[in-house]
Amino acid sequence: MKSRTILAAASVLALLAGNAAAQEQTLKIGALVTQSGAGASWGNGMLRAAELAAEDANKDGGLEVAGTKYKVEVIAYDDAYKANEAVTAANRLVFEDKVKYIIGTVGSAPILAIQPITEEAGVITLTLGFTAKALSADKPYTFRPNPTTAEVAQPQIDWLVASQKIKTVGALFPNDETGEAIAKDIGAAYKKAGAELTATEFFERDRVDFIPLLTRIVAQGVDAIELDGNSPVTAGQIVQQARDIGFEGVIIRTGGPATQEIVNVAGKQATEGMFVHSAFNPAVETAAAYQKRYSDTYGEAMNGFSPFFYDGTKMLFQAMKDAGTVEDTAAVKTALENISGYEGVLGTLNWTGKDAYGIAHQLDSPFYIARVEDGNEVIVASCTTAGCK
Amino acid sequence: MSFLIAQSLINGVILGTLYLMMAIGFTLVFGIMRIVNFAHGEFYMIGAFMALIGVTWLGLPYAATLALTVVFAVLLGALVERVVFRPFRSDELSGMIASLGLAMILQNGALIFFGPDPQAFPAMVSGVLRFGDLIIPKSRALTLGIGVVVLIGFYVLLMHTRFGRGLRALVQDQQVAALYGVRLEIMYPLGLGLGIALAAVAGALMAPLFGVSPFIGAAPLLKAFIVVILGGLGSIPGAALAALLLGLIESFTSSFVSASAADIVTFALVVAVLLIRPSGILGRGEA
Amino acid sequence: MSDTSVTSPPKRAGLGSLGFALCVALLALVPWFTGSVFHFHIAIMVCLGAMAAAGLATIAWVGQLSLAHGAFVGIGAYTCVLLVTRLDMPFLVGLPAAAVFSGAVAYIIGTPLLRLRGVYFVLITFALNELFRLVMLEFPSVSGGSSGIAGIPKISLFGWELRDQSQVYVFTLLMLAAVMALLWTIRRGPLGRWFSAVEENMALAESSGIPTARTQNMAFVIGSGIAGFTGAIMAHYIGFISPVTFAFQLSVSYVIILVVGGRLALAGPLVGALFLVPLPEFLRSAQEYQHIIYGVVLIIVLRFLPAGLTALPGKLSQWRRSGE
Repeated sequence: MKSRTILAAASVLALLAGNAAAQEQTLKIGALVTQSGAGASWGNGMLRAAELAAEDANKDGGLEVAGTKYKVEVIAYDDAYKANEAVTAANRLVFEDKVKYIIGTVGSAPILAIQPITEEAGVITLTLGFTAKALSADKPYTFRPNPTTAEVAQPQIDWLVASQKIKTVGALFPNDETGEAIAKDIGAAYKKAGAELTATEFFERDRVDFIPLLTRIVAQGVDAIELDGNSPVTAGQIVQQARDIGFEGVIIRTGGPATQEIVNVAGKQATEGMFVHSAFNPAVETAAAYQKRYSDTYGEAMNGFSPFFYDGTKMLFQAMKDAGTVEDTAAVKTALENISGYEGVLGTLNWTGKDAYGIAHQLDSPFYIARVEDGNEVIVASCTTAGCK
Repeated sequence: MSFLIAQSLINGVILGTLYLMMAIGFTLVFGIMRIVNFAHGEFYMIGAFMALIGVTWLGLPYAATLALTVVFAVLLGALVERVVFRPFRSDELSGMIASLGLAMILQNGALIFFGPDPQAFPAMVSGVLRFGDLIIPKSRALTLGIGVVVLIGFYVLLMHTRFGRGLRALVQDQQVAALYGVRLEIMYPLGLGLGIALAAVAGALMAPLFGVSPFIGAAPLLKAFIVVILGGLGSIPGAALAALLLGLIESFTSSFVSASAADIVTFALVVAVLLIRPSGILGRGEA
Repeated sequence: MSDTSVTSPPKRAGLGSLGFALCVALLALVPWFTGSVFHFHIAIMVCLGAMAAAGLATIAWVGQLSLAHGAFVGIGAYTCVLLVTRLDMPFLVGLPAAAVFSGAVAYIIGTPLLRLRGVYFVLITFALNELFRLVMLEFPSVSGGSSGIAGIPKISLFGWELRDQSQVYVFTLLMLAAVMALLWTIRRGPLGRWFSAVEENMALAESSGIPTARTQNMAFVIGSGIAGFTGAIMAHYIGFISPVTFAFQLSVSYVIILVVGGRLALAGPLVGALFLVPLPEFLRSAQEYQHIIYGVVLIIVLRFLPAGLTALPGKLSQWRRSGE
C-alpha cells in the first residue's frame, strides 16, 4: 500500500519534471579535449571557447532555433591526448549523453580514433588536429576551424625571404611522419620563394639537447633557422640553445600560435627579433576584447587557438539557426558549410580546402607575421592565402 | 673536422655529467635500500621546480637556491622513506611498484600545482666562451663546473667520512654493516635522501638549460636506467664509466651521423651488452 | 558473508569462489540490463584490461614483473593489423598470429635475460618498452609513424562483421573466458606447481631440479603471448593504433590493475580490472586527480593488502574474528 503511494508520488513528480523540461529545452555540446598532460593548454583554450560561446547564447534566455529556446550546456571530458581515452570519452558523449556536437579533439591521433564513431552517428566535430587525414570527402561531419601549416606557410615564407634577404635556411624537425611531411612542405615553400633549405636535422620528439645538431647547422653558415613542426617547448629550447652557441641569424616559426610558450621556455632575450606566425592581431578590436574577456574570466593568458574555437562554436550555433533544427545534424552540417564571410572575432572567416582535402571544411582566416619584441608579438605584415604585405 | 671532434667531446662530457648525477643517485638508492626507484625522474623535476621557486619567486641567488634544493631534497627523501618505502625493505618487487605509484602522485601533483605549461627560467649567464673555433656556451660551462663540484663533494662524502663508510658497508652487506654498528634507522632515510638530492640538484642545474615543466622527469629517468643497465646495477664505478660513454656516444653520433641514429646506437649498445654480459660492464652478476 | 564464517575453511573457500563466480557473471550481464552502448564499451574495456592483466599475472606467478607488457600488447596489435590490412588475412588468422608472434619475441628476449636474478629483468623490460616505441617510430612505413594507423577494420568472424558494441562484447567476453580457462589449467597442472615453487623460493626450486630460468621464460612467453592476443582485439575494436598508444603508461596501468586486484590470485586480474577500468568515468574531466588516486590506491594496497582486493573478504572476516 505504502509503496504504491510512493510510486504514485514519483510518477506525479516525473510528470512535473517532464512539463518543466518541455518549457526549457537543453542543448548539450560535448567538449572532448585534453585537460591533463602536455596538450592541456590547448584543450583548456578550446573548452573555454565553447563555454564562452555557450554563455553568449544563454545570456538572452538560450539559443533560439525554430522558435524554441535552448539552454546550451557544455559537457567536458578529458582525453589526456590519448586515442584510447578519446574513444571511451566519445562513446560516452555519443551514446550516454547523446550529444550531437563535439568540440574536439586537440590531437591528431584522437580525432582519427573517434571519427569512426562520430561520422557513423552523424555527430559534428570541430577539431584542432593538424593531420591532413582528419578532413576528407568521406568524413562529412568533421570541420577544422583553425588554419594549419598547409594554409599559412607559403605566403609567410615568400614575404620573409624577400624582406630579410634569406638565402639559406636550416631546420630541425621531429623524426616522425608529421615532421617529415612538414619538412617536405617547408622545403618546397622556401625553394619556391627563392631560398634553399640547406641543412635539415631530424630528432626524437622527447629530445632536449640540441647543441650537437645546432652546431652542425650553424657550422654550415645558414641565414635563418625554421622552427615549424616543433612543439612549443621544443621550439623554445631550440631558440635558446641556438642563441647559446652564438647563432645571430633570423629565427622563423611559420606555423602554430605558440609564441607565449616559446618565450616562457627560451626567455625574452633569446626570442628577441624572432619572426612568428600569428592569427591574432591586437589591433582588431573584437580580438582584443575576446582576449580580455578570456583572461578576466579565467585568470590565465589566452591560448592562441581559443578564438578560433569561439568563432567555430558560434558558427555552429548560426548553422543550427539557419537549418532550423538542433536534431538533424545533416541539415546543420550543410548549413555550416554554406556559411561564408562570417564576421568572427578574428576577422572574416570562410571555408576552404576543397583542393587540399577534397572537402571544404577547413577554415580560411586572416593571419599575420609578427616580430617578437620584449616577449610580445608585434605585427609586421598582414596575410591572406594570396600573400602578405 | 678536428673542430667538430673537439666540440663533440665537450658536449659529450657535459651530457655525461648530467647522466652520471642521475645514475649515481639511482644506483645508490638501489644499493642501500634494494629499491628500483621509478620516481627518481620526478625528483629531478622537483629539483627543477625548487630552483624555479628559489630564483624567480623568492629572488634568491642561484647558489643559495642550489643549497636549499639539496636540504629540501634530503628532507623529502627521509619523509618518502618513512611514509612509502619503509614497509617494503625486504621486498624488492613491492618497493619498486610502490615507487611507480609515488611517481604518479608526484608528477600529477606538480601538474595540479604548477599547471602543464613550461615555465620561464631566467638565464643565469649568457654568452659563449671561445677557444679558437671551439664554442662553449657559458651556461653549459657553469652547469658542468657545478656538476663536477657536486660529484667531487659526493665522492669525498662517500669515501672519506664515517657516514660514507657506513653507506658503503650497507651496500656491501646489510647484516654485516648492522653488526658493525651502522645505524640502519638513520642510514636508510639519509641514504635515500642523498640519492634523491643528487637527482634534484641535477634538475636544478639543468633547469636553466632545458626548461621546467611537470613532464621533464621522464627522459633523465630513462637515461639513468640505460646507464645503470650498461654499468651494472649497484655499481658506482660502472655508472661513472657508462654515463660518460653514453654522453660521448650520443654527442658523437648526433654530430657525425644524425640525432635519431644516436638513440638507435644507444639501444643497440644496450642490447649488445645484455647479450654478451647481461649484468652490465662492471656489474656483480647477481643484482 | 556472516553465515559462511561458521562453516569449515575448505568448504567456505568453495562457497566463496562460487559466490564470486556468481557475482562476476551478474556483473558481466549489467550492460544488457541497462542497454546502454556506453556501458557495453566500458565492459569491453574491462575485459581487455583483465585479459592483458591476466598475461601479466602469469609472469607474476614466477615472481617476475614485466614493464614491457604494453609493448607486447602493441606487438600483437601491429602484427594482427598489418596481417589484416596489408596481406588481407582474415582476423581469425591475425589473432592467433599476434599471440604467437608476441610470444616468440618474448622467448628471444627472455632467454638471455631471465638468467639474471631479481629486479634486473624488470629494469631491462622498462628500457625495452621504450625501445619498442623508438623502433616503431623509426619505421613509419610499417607503423604509420607517430600518426599511427587509422581506420582499422572492425573484428570480423568468417565474413560476419561485429558492428555493434554488444557483439564485440560477447566476443571479448568469450575470449576473456578462454584466457582465464587457460590460466586455470596452467595453475592446476605441473607447470603451475613449478611456477609457484619458483615464486616461493628460487634456490629451493633450483635444488629440487626445476629449471628456474626456463620456467620463468615459459611464464614470460605465455604472459606476453596473452598480451599480444589482447592487443589484436583492442586494435580492431578501437580502430586506431600508434606507437604512443603502447608507451610505458600502458604497462604501468596493467601493473596497477594486477597489483590492486591481487598478484597471485587467479581472480586478481578480473577484480583489478572491474575496480579500476570504470573508475576514470567518475572523474572524466580531471585526470590529474585520477592519477593521484591511482598512485595512492596502489601504495595503500601494497602496504595493507599485499595480496590485493581479492584477499579483502578473507582479511575482513579475519579482522572481525580477531575483534570478537
